[in-house]
Amino acid sequence: MSVVEITDLSFSYEKQTVLENINLKVEEKDFLAIIGPNGGGKSTLLKLILGMYTPQKGNITVLGKTPKHSLTQIGYVPQNTNVNTDFPIKVIEVVMMGHVEGKRPLFGYGKHEEVCALGALEKVGMDNYAHTKIGSLSGGQRQRVMIARALCTHPQILILDEPTSSIDITGQREIYELLKTLNEHITIIVVSHDISVILEYANKATHINKTLSYHDISDKTQTFHTHGKDGHFCEIELLQMLGAENCDTCEEEIPTWRQKP
Amino acid sequence: MMEALQFEFMQHAILAGILVSFAAGIIGSLIVVNRMVFLAGGIAHTSYGGIGLAVYFGLPIFLGASIFAVGAALLIAALTLKKRHRMDTFIGLIWAVGMAIGVIFVDLTPGYNVDLMSYLFGSILAVSSEDLYFMGGLLTLILFIITFWYRDILAVSYDSEYAALRDVNVRFFYTLILILSALTVVVAIKVVGLILVIAMLTIPVYIAEKLSNSLFSMMFISGSIATLFTLLGLWTSYTYNLTSGASIIIVSAVSLGIFLLFNKKVIL
Repeated sequence: MSVVEITDLSFSYEKQTVLENINLKVEEKDFLAIIGPNGGGKSTLLKLILGMYTPQKGNITVLGKTPKHSLTQIGYVPQNTNVNTDFPIKVIEVVMMGHVEGKRPLFGYGKHEEVCALGALEKVGMDNYAHTKIGSLSGGQRQRVMIARALCTHPQILILDEPTSSIDITGQREIYELLKTLNEHITIIVVSHDISVILEYANKATHINKTLSYHDISDKTQTFHTHGKDGHFCEIELLQMLGAENCDTCEEEIPTWRQKP
Repeated sequence: MMEALQFEFMQHAILAGILVSFAAGIIGSLIVVNRMVFLAGGIAHTSYGGIGLAVYFGLPIFLGASIFAVGAALLIAALTLKKRHRMDTFIGLIWAVGMAIGVIFVDLTPGYNVDLMSYLFGSILAVSSEDLYFMGGLLTLILFIITFWYRDILAVSYDSEYAALRDVNVRFFYTLILILSALTVVVAIKVVGLILVIAMLTIPVYIAEKLSNSLFSMMFISGSIATLFTLLGLWTSYTYNLTSGASIIIVSAVSLGIFLLFNKKVIL
């Protein structure tokens, strides 16, 4: 059974069609990268998977159920987690927000919730910061906390929207290494602009610009012309394969095709 | 000052100052973290419409102002949940219309016209026993709600989109925060007046924000700071024979200035 299955999905805001005839299957323990231009419908697709929007046409199932019934199975890291940094709140309180209503104490948080939150923080390597004010962390650290919040319910799927957009290069690597480790147990879906980085970690990629094209990139040496000795591959080729007309992250106007090593 | 404490009106003023300051500290914290300051200002001015209506129909002022302010809060909640980007327009509109309704109803009231100034700048020295019950009741209600729904209110205030995904009823808690703000604004009008309410809801909170690392401690600290400012302001007003509401605000503002001066690194 696919973890996420989308069939013939279309979605529009009022008059503007954002997504058209989307078909996508995400299998267990996939690391799916979703790329595409701004306004192409990437975030909208995530919100449909999360059940925040309802599709006008087509069908989405998450773990065999409707998205709303799978909420506890999906961990979500939203875009722009660097807003509201003045807010007086401790790291552990942010993480505990990840818990879904259920057996909750009369007031405050239960002991089990605190233990669970500390466990999630340990997974992302932030357990020493549990009682620090969230605003005093760096962008990368804050993003880890948001991942911990998403892990709080022990989800089977982790969905991240532009997780590294405001983090420096080292921080980005660290986040992706963390996701790679988490990917040993859970399925990961990432929307990203950092194409060159994300594609090294992802095993599947889709390009969304109203419509969707899909590619299995698990065997990178077969799929790509690599250049240099580090096995780095060229994103322009991937973009072409996936149907983009031009590359929005590189400065070359006409993409140069590189030789196979 | 000591001899002043024998007077009942002074005892009432001090008690009212403490009750209202704590309510303002707690709700002011929620207003600031939710970025609703302009919104609270709108509700404060709109409630003047309720004061005008209460005067015209001979109802208790608190009752009229509360009903009108809660009505405004519900209207603003309904409008802003739907059209957040037009929020400032709606608030400005409700702000002006509420004031206008108040002025017109006071005009229409035959005989002696109430002193508009006492509502604009407060009349803490004229707090009745009924007023005190109302203030005490409101503070109890606020403490009750904050105790039992702290985590939901925190979740909605910090990240409402995520809270919705975790099955928290965002609409309900957003509306609840606005209603509590409306009621707090009404009692604060008695102490500092509707023009100065905003300062009372924000100055102590701004200082407390720098000193706290959780919403709970922010509420507690700003409640305490607000109480201190109110009592100091009251003392200043009594000693130098100045308007009480304005004295409280000036004491708060000067204290904020001193705090920032000694805390240069935390400005911004």
